[in-house]
Amino acid sequence: MTDTSTRTRGGGNPSPSGRRRPGRPAKASGLPVWSIPYLLLIPGLLVIGALLLYPMVQVAIMAFQKVGLPQIRPVNKRPPEWVGTDNFSQIFDNEIFWSALRNTLVFAVLAVTLTLVVGTAVGVLLNKLGKKMSTLVIVGIMFAWAVPPVAQGIIWKWLFDAEAGIINWALNLLPDWLSTLVFGRADWTGEPWLNDAWSIYMVLIITVVWASFPFIAVSVLAGLKGIPAELYEAARVDGASAWRTFRKITFPLLRPVFAVLTVLSIIWDFKVFSQLYVLMGGPTNREAFNLSMYSYAEAFRSPPKMGSGAAIALVLTVILLVVTAVYVRQLVKQEDMT
Amino acid sequence: MRIAKITATTVTTAALALGLAACGGAEAPAEPSAAASASASGPKYSGKELTFWRLGDSNPAAQKYTDELVAAFEQQTGAKVKVEWIPWPQVNDKFTAAAAGGTGPDVTEIGNDQVPLWQSQEALAPISDIVAAGDQAQIPKNLLGLETIDGETYAVPWGGGSRAVLYRADWFKDLKIEIPKTWDELVAAAKKIQEKKGKDVDGFAFNGGSDANHLLGSLAWTAGGEYAVKEGDKWVGKLTDPAFKTGFEQYTALVTDGLSSKSRLGQNTTEIRTRFANNKVGMYLTASWDLPGIDEDSKGKLKGDKLAFFPLPAKDGGEAQSFLGGNDIAVWGTAKEMDAAKDFVKLASGKEWGVKYATDGGLLPVYPEALAKLAEDPAQAPFAAAFAKAKAFPADPNWTEANETKAVLQNAARQVIEGKATADEALGKANTELENILNQS
Repeated sequence: MTDTSTRTRGGGNPSPSGRRRPGRPAKASGLPVWSIPYLLLIPGLLVIGALLLYPMVQVAIMAFQKVGLPQIRPVNKRPPEWVGTDNFSQIFDNEIFWSALRNTLVFAVLAVTLTLVVGTAVGVLLNKLGKKMSTLVIVGIMFAWAVPPVAQGIIWKWLFDAEAGIINWALNLLPDWLSTLVFGRADWTGEPWLNDAWSIYMVLIITVVWASFPFIAVSVLAGLKGIPAELYEAARVDGASAWRTFRKITFPLLRPVFAVLTVLSIIWDFKVFSQLYVLMGGPTNREAFNLSMYSYAEAFRSPPKMGSGAAIALVLTVILLVVTAVYVRQLVKQEDMT
Repeated sequence: MRIAKITATTVTTAALALGLAACGGAEAPAEPSAAASASASGPKYSGKELTFWRLGDSNPAAQKYTDELVAAFEQQTGAKVKVEWIPWPQVNDKFTAAAAGGTGPDVTEIGNDQVPLWQSQEALAPISDIVAAGDQAQIPKNLLGLETIDGETYAVPWGGGSRAVLYRADWFKDLKIEIPKTWDELVAAAKKIQEKKGKDVDGFAFNGGSDANHLLGSLAWTAGGEYAVKEGDKWVGKLTDPAFKTGFEQYTALVTDGLSSKSRLGQNTTEIRTRFANNKVGMYLTASWDLPGIDEDSKGKLKGDKLAFFPLPAKDGGEAQSFLGGNDIAVWGTAKEMDAAKDFVKLASGKEWGVKYATDGGLLPVYPEALAKLAEDPAQAPFAAAFAKAKAFPADPNWTEANETKAVLQNAARQVIEGKATADEALGKANTELENILNQS
């Protein structure tokens, strides 16, 4: 086996490998055989390079430059000025950065946890449901997943509107004693949900969890379908509780699924932008900025400081990479231990 | 595709221009002079096309003025002018995109406080020669403060706008409220309106949005305060001065005293205007350019004698200081037809079209005689009076960052209103931040 592969990769060797059909000439294209996979990769790499790598490198460079409109316009462009780490020291000195960082982290932790918990619960539920019911629920929740981010923001902004929102209306419908008991107040008329940073984030968490749990649920369901029913039967025979069954059978077997879902959720929730933009009505309340919003405000609000914007984006990317790397490492370690 | 589109627009513009020139000739007495000069310089720019950005909503009055101006220019020079309307809240974004993409207009209208910013981004062409000669030489030099940077002028004042309090005259009449002469009377009037018209009505609307400093500035300046003063080549913040604090507290008290709801701390004039049109606001600080929008939003219910203006009263009587607002007209830095653009600005800001721009658009003319004449009109007198003592924000390209992007004062007000800081703490922090922003290179 090793022998064959070495020879195939050897390039110069004209003898056809086992996989090759004997009738075909070895050098139809005039290229060595080993180069074909790389050749086929080139179009893909070019697209990724142009659309992803080049802008990323560009952002990294801009983070160390002073870039405004005169530096990017097409007509008599000015060369950007190198400022070293000035952009970084400036944003680290600004308290908006620290509150944005706090908001980003707290939001990500809460939103990822809630999304996974709700998603898993619904996934387990779907597994228990009969075929028709489960299809109905899947179709239902998939609507939420399919709503585009801006539309999600608009839907929840309306629901939580201070004057015309259904949330305040519904809270006012509660019996006064109940409302007072639970929330300490009875009158919800004109309650401004999208005013304070904490309540904006509460609405944002609801919005994001609402829109992203269906994906988790369906992925978990797919994983569950792959677990042999015998394991559950054995657990039932041994009299294990539902929670114990989940912890000892479902969770360990779905670990790879959860690993991927967690990493994806972390990445999605760290850079949430559109929903927050819509809920807040643009970068208005700076106490409620997250890092994406802060980066946007610096880079594109006048006067545009694309250097600082790029620096913030870079910091966000690095944090995201570190968090993901640490998490994946942790998972791999656990995998080795079990 | 694109050529087809351009051709279509050109044809439409031309057709429109012809039609308007035909009917304009009958009513405008100034037409003959334009025609006379046309024969001299008629074919000067024939075949060329200018793009002209007008800011705001294209309400009928503004549309008519623009069409007439464009027709006059086309007749004089043979150049076609393509007009595009840009709503005020989108101006900075649109300018940013234009400056970044090189797709700017040839001539643009611009808010006078935006001139330093866009000059610093090299988006405007110097036009000192225009203001040095002709009609434009009559424009008082103190109106060119924001437009002149390092000895060069980058925009010509087109119309001035000072703000006054727009109020529901019909409600005042119903509730037998006199026009407030002092701040306390204004507060009392606002409370009475809320009492009778509902708790969700803002007696006097708090503005905490992108143009919040128009309201805060008026109050702070009246109390004798300043935002910042340039000492040498450094800006020194004055927000911690007791005088500024007085105005600032007056401003935050609009919400803490309940004159305006806490749920709308971020609303700007455009949002207040919409609420006003829906009977949810009793009074707010604005100018007459809001009237067409209110008419439209209220489906024609709010107009005429149902609303009127009075000058914002100072704390113990007299008129408050107003913000020296105004719209300018400028040549875009990368204009394709630079000469034609300059001639267009010259014509538009000249006495005839400049005064007409202001009077048709509900603004104050920048030419002294026309302004003096306007002050005789009782409806316009509050504005003319306020204009005479109007003040401006720090003339620095970074002011927009403090004013809108970082919303320094809006944030300070929010802190105080939400009880997170005292006025002294909030202003102290805001002062440092304002200095840092204004002094950055």
